[in-house]
Amino acid sequence: MEAIWLYQFRLIVIGDSTVGKSCLIRRFTEGRFAQVSDPTVGVDFFSRLVEIEPGKRIKLQIWDTAGQERFRSITRAYYRNSVGGLLLFDITNRRSFQNVHDWLEEARSHVQPHSIVFLLVGHKCDLEPQRQVTRQEAEKLAGAYGMRYVETSARDAINVEHAFTELTRDIFQLVRSGDITIQEGWEGVKSGFVPNVVHSSEEVTKSDRRCLC
Amino acid sequence: MDGNALQRISLAEKNKESSAEEVDACHPPLNFVTAAETVESLKHSCNGQLELSCTAASRTVPEGLSNWDTDSVIQSTLSSDAVIRPPINWSMTPDKEAKMANGGLFIGHSSAKLHTETVVTIILDGAATCLSNTQCEKPSSIAMSAREGHHESCNIRVEPDGAGAQPRTQANVAGDLSGGATSNLNSQSLPSSPAPTKDPCRVSAKPDTIQGEEPSASGHLGDDLSSRPHPQALRTRTVPNSVSYDSSTILSPGEEDGETFAELGAQGHSDLRFMDVSLSSRNTFESSRRGMKCVSSLKIAHSLSWLFCLVRSLFPKKQREPKGPSQNVPGWKLFGKVPARESAPKDSRTIQQVGVPAGTSPTQPQQGRRKNLEFEPLSTTALILEDRPANLPAKSVEEAQRHRQEYDEMVAEAKKRELKEAQRKRKEMKERFKQEESIANAMVVWNNDILPNWENMRNTRRVRELWWQGLPPNVRGKVWSLAIGNELNITPELYEIFLSRAKERWRSFSETGSETEADDGASLADRESSLDLIKLDISRTFPPLFIFQKGGPYHDLLHSVLGAYTCYRPDVGYVQGMSFIAAVLILNLEEADAFIAFANLLNKPCQLAFFRVDHDLMLKYFAAFEVFFEENLPRLFNHFQSSNLTPDLYLIDWIFTLYSKSLPLDVACRVWDVFCRDGEEFLFRTGLGILRLYEDVLLQLDFIRSAQFLTRLPEDIGSDRLFACIAAAPMLNGNRKWSQVKNGYV
Repeated sequence: MEAIWLYQFRLIVIGDSTVGKSCLIRRFTEGRFAQVSDPTVGVDFFSRLVEIEPGKRIKLQIWDTAGQERFRSITRAYYRNSVGGLLLFDITNRRSFQNVHDWLEEARSHVQPHSIVFLLVGHKCDLEPQRQVTRQEAEKLAGAYGMRYVETSARDAINVEHAFTELTRDIFQLVRSGDITIQEGWEGVKSGFVPNVVHSSEEVTKSDRRCLC
Repeated sequence: MDGNALQRISLAEKNKESSAEEVDACHPPLNFVTAAETVESLKHSCNGQLELSCTAASRTVPEGLSNWDTDSVIQSTLSSDAVIRPPINWSMTPDKEAKMANGGLFIGHSSAKLHTETVVTIILDGAATCLSNTQCEKPSSIAMSAREGHHESCNIRVEPDGAGAQPRTQANVAGDLSGGATSNLNSQSLPSSPAPTKDPCRVSAKPDTIQGEEPSASGHLGDDLSSRPHPQALRTRTVPNSVSYDSSTILSPGEEDGETFAELGAQGHSDLRFMDVSLSSRNTFESSRRGMKCVSSLKIAHSLSWLFCLVRSLFPKKQREPKGPSQNVPGWKLFGKVPARESAPKDSRTIQQVGVPAGTSPTQPQQGRRKNLEFEPLSTTALILEDRPANLPAKSVEEAQRHRQEYDEMVAEAKKRELKEAQRKRKEMKERFKQEESIANAMVVWNNDILPNWENMRNTRRVRELWWQGLPPNVRGKVWSLAIGNELNITPELYEIFLSRAKERWRSFSETGSETEADDGASLADRESSLDLIKLDISRTFPPLFIFQKGGPYHDLLHSVLGAYTCYRPDVGYVQGMSFIAAVLILNLEEADAFIAFANLLNKPCQLAFFRVDHDLMLKYFAAFEVFFEENLPRLFNHFQSSNLTPDLYLIDWIFTLYSKSLPLDVACRVWDVFCRDGEEFLFRTGLGILRLYEDVLLQLDFIRSAQFLTRLPEDIGSDRLFACIAAAPMLNGNRKWSQVKNGYV
């Protein structure tokens, strides 16, 4: 019996206020872009299914956080139960890039004993003329922290799918390899309703068997 | 865009006095660039009387509109376009219209429905359409309706008293429209010639005739007003938040508009305002402003009634057109004109218009079956059944008959639908009238009995019950003010001081900007982010209303209040969510009063705890909430427990913004009413009410969907149902009340 989704991953989206977190998520989950929308107060919730490989669907539970520094004491409680995170900065806002370091520290110190897989996202890449952060330096920073770097634009729908699916794939790999495991009481990864939980070894043997052509 | 809008306003200011030099720090210099020609035209039309009779606001009453026919108006419109600048193509952006129309332009929509194409065109393109419906003898009202469709503040400006209103209209509309991202508008709003200006709101007016028009218009309107109950009588501030009953008023605080800009630009209150000649002090200004407001509210209500009357008046006329025996062909209905045709019906060639009101009795069984007289649906969807072209094989008789039959059925269906729709509309209208009446009655009680005697009456049972039912919009601000109180003893003067301090900071910040980044790192960073954040958040406040966006009428006002607050309370500073609270207050109160209420409101223990993000205190509030949650809704409570849906996930948004972000504005205002009466407990009680209201739904949802649901409540949530649920949730745990429970945790 095929499951609707194999796993559910909880992702958290963080970054300075007004970098475009809500917009990016909305573009991803609702397919639309709103030039103007309410500032997030506290946390907002979104969800969507992604198919990372044919037949393999992951349900993403996305937590959109308020970016203002004031809210950090609220949002820091949410890192623990997230398996993945998108760290956004605005390429036209140098300060938001400089704060990436702070965000990471914040996340790392509050996610213990678990870990989060982060993706660094340079948002608003459609605003090339106002760019204040070069791709190179962002990539360098990402590399230093062991993250991927993607530049996105919610307005022009550039790399939005790509960003989320890449992150999901990365997490999925880690789940398959056993680096990330489902744990009781941890909300980061939940398995879908499948009769047999798919483990990497089982999967390999099964496919081998099927490959008798 | 905003630059342009502010340009317009600044024009007005410039003409007003030379205060234009006082560039308000929050207005980028760009705003004060004034186009020579517009100044020119202003001067022209003003005849040198800058303040009072600035008839630049040509968008008011269209003169001699009824004499024009569609073509000539369109002509002149077009010609005026040539004269002035390329007009905003309103028709191109219907959704923008809709958007702009959304917040308060209930009228626009409903009338559109009633009147479909014809009215819609009124709304969208003032000049052309109004003309198509010129059977209406009251051009002013058409104009008003037209204006109404566009934007609230347009309406408000049609004020009989004081030519001073004119320039404000200008400014307002410009402001509004630019808020609506219609950049080109402003420039052509000023007629540089008597030709009708291309302004979506206006129909057409010669500047110098406006003054003359006004009194008649107003007189006219006044007459009409008396014939119908309208909710907002001649009172103080029209509150725009009762969307349900007369949403056009939602943006009625348009009075603020021009004023605001004027104020900010002029840096003072004693400055001349367009509105009133006699203005010297703030107080007299306010009182006269109130006069203006009440008139404007009259206008709004009137225009609402007008639109409906308009619709009604149109159809009977058409129906009276003589129909011969061969009336099966109603003819095309374009822009309200129905040429009656006498030609005999061709057998299979029938042009039949669904829903065209016709004069014949319904028993006529021909193909050209007409509608019932008393039902005036209006649909310009023409269902056409035509002959198959001659060069194709003809239909067989059976086939033709079958097709005919199907066609008849389709038409019948469509007619049925329209009938239903019209009935529903009628019912809706009846409801609204009823509501309006009850509000009008309540208003009288509040104004005559309660407010004069506030201290004694406020705790009586009768008042508390009236209060629960919702404050009438135009006493709302006052009662909120009184109820919130002024423990902090803030005076308007104090507000001015903090406001100027804020402006000083903005000015210096924008001047020095990045240079000072090096020193005083932390506080500067905070300040920076506060400033920027305020700016950005303002634009994001109630976007559908389009009044807080840059260039919108309340943008600067909101900016002022928030900025002054950060100066006043650096310990709290600016926190996201505040903009909503300030916005709601601004919609209901005068600037200084709004600030006073804002500061005092945020000083309440619950608000302080949340805005300072006092984590421990917040957790205690949540814990107390859960006690009552479990008591009242045990099943849902357990469901949430098992899915780990903790209160912080939904309460934060609700409490921070006092529901102004989560509930429709009119419902939120009702919540605020009782919150002012009962205090913080009511905020949590409302939360319970919401949970109760949607308990069934929530029980079926998993974590993420529940969370999504609660942070994005349905928009059709009605205040009555919600309040019924709130009432059903007494805040009693055993015999402990809210404060006891909460203090138990503290």
